[in-house]
Amino acid sequence: MLAAQSEQSGVILLTKCILDMPSYTYAVKGQRLLRQRGYPCAIKRRSKDSENGCGYSLYVGDRCGRAAEILDSYSVPYTIRRDGADDDDKL
Amino acid sequence: MMINFDNAATTYPKPLSVRKAAADAIMSFGGNAGRGGHQLAMRTSEAYYNARETAAEFFGAEPENTVFTLNCTHALNMAIQGVMSQGGHLIISSMEHNSAARPAVSLTLKKQITLSIAEVYPDKEQTIESFRRLMRSDTKAVVCTLASNVTGQLLPYREIGELCRQRGVCFIADGAQACGIYDIKLSDGINILCTAGHKGLYGITGTGLLITDGKYPIAPIIQGGTGSESLSLFQPTILPDSLESGTPNIIGAVTVGEGIRFIKRRGAEAIRAHEERLCRRFISELSPVEGITIYRDEGAEYAPIVSFNAYGMGSEEAAAILGEKGFCLRAGYHCAALAHATLGTKGGTVRFAPSVFNTEAEVLKLVYYVKILKNLQNS
Repeated sequence: MLAAQSEQSGVILLTKCILDMPSYTYAVKGQRLLRQRGYPCAIKRRSKDSENGCGYSLYVGDRCGRAAEILDSYSVPYTIRRDGADDDDKL
Repeated sequence: MMINFDNAATTYPKPLSVRKAAADAIMSFGGNAGRGGHQLAMRTSEAYYNARETAAEFFGAEPENTVFTLNCTHALNMAIQGVMSQGGHLIISSMEHNSAARPAVSLTLKKQITLSIAEVYPDKEQTIESFRRLMRSDTKAVVCTLASNVTGQLLPYREIGELCRQRGVCFIADGAQACGIYDIKLSDGINILCTAGHKGLYGITGTGLLITDGKYPIAPIIQGGTGSESLSLFQPTILPDSLESGTPNIIGAVTVGEGIRFIKRRGAEAIRAHEERLCRRFISELSPVEGITIYRDEGAEYAPIVSFNAYGMGSEEAAAILGEKGFCLRAGYHCAALAHATLGTKGGTVRFAPSVFNTEAEVLKLVYYVKILKNLQNS
């Protein structure tokens, strides 16, 4: 299981769900939307190459479904990549 | 002693907070934005995003639709060439800066588009009508300055924007002389707002913005590294990356963000009121003087810019003499061939453009020297 540490909050997230973001801009926009709603998350450089190469990911811990709902409601694009245990909330 | 009244070209001095932000940015944000995962890159990326978010909020846009450019000319070229890339009919106003007129004429000469020029009148209804008359079924976009960079004349952009909205035409606005002193929002009917960062927004030179509502696709005129989709040989289609190739002016963007915060603290309305007060004083002192021509019409509304000529002297000569007395004034044609043709000036004009930092005492000093220009010429 991966661990991601948010520089700003110092929160360590045990990563189960990673959202690959299409750009840094969307990664920060997504991070701020989630944080404003009480979901800690961290931006990290993408750890696994996607089809199109490098980029940024949002590490959202075990709240994949809720994070995805929030991002969807603001039309923030992402691709879900799981890493580790199952989510505890449903997509 | 140097007094800058050439703030329509670029504002100087910059607010202290902007100067400090520039110095801090050089010290702290020396990485590249959106292109790495290390501490310096991430810190720099976040600073760049913060500036983007500040600008987006100020103009009522989404951060991802807020694109940093080199200047307003860069933004207008991107907007005009990008929106018109598949051809169609374009309308521009007769008060446009060369930054809009030249790309439009260039596309026309290459037979990629057809072009019409809408006459601007002192009466806003007449101006609206001249745009309405030129609309065609194949009209794809309208380009219109919000305020002339020569005279400051305000164009009825909300009405022109509504005209565009009704016909499904993209409205591209040049906000270089209006942003920072008027409350300009995309919700005013603007689809793409192009502006400078270094004028009324008080950022440093080398900064501009293209802000879009995303309704009209903008084909990139520059392609390259964006920090995203690096294995693809195709330019990303997602904003802002599609329009921001190459390392951006991060320090410049940070100063634009700080400049906007300065404006919000002072209030755009208060800044405009101050500049208008200075313009009114300038005009009231000089308009009664025989031999002074001030390029303003009673029926029109103006941003705080005044164009004038004195005693039949060439504008360059007048500005040079005043320059020797310490005044920075822009003479000539102000990169606005169409606007000067519309005004019918011969030899251009001298432009007085105050900023929030100018004082009434400075204006009165200038007035004194303008009044005795003829004597100074002879001496």
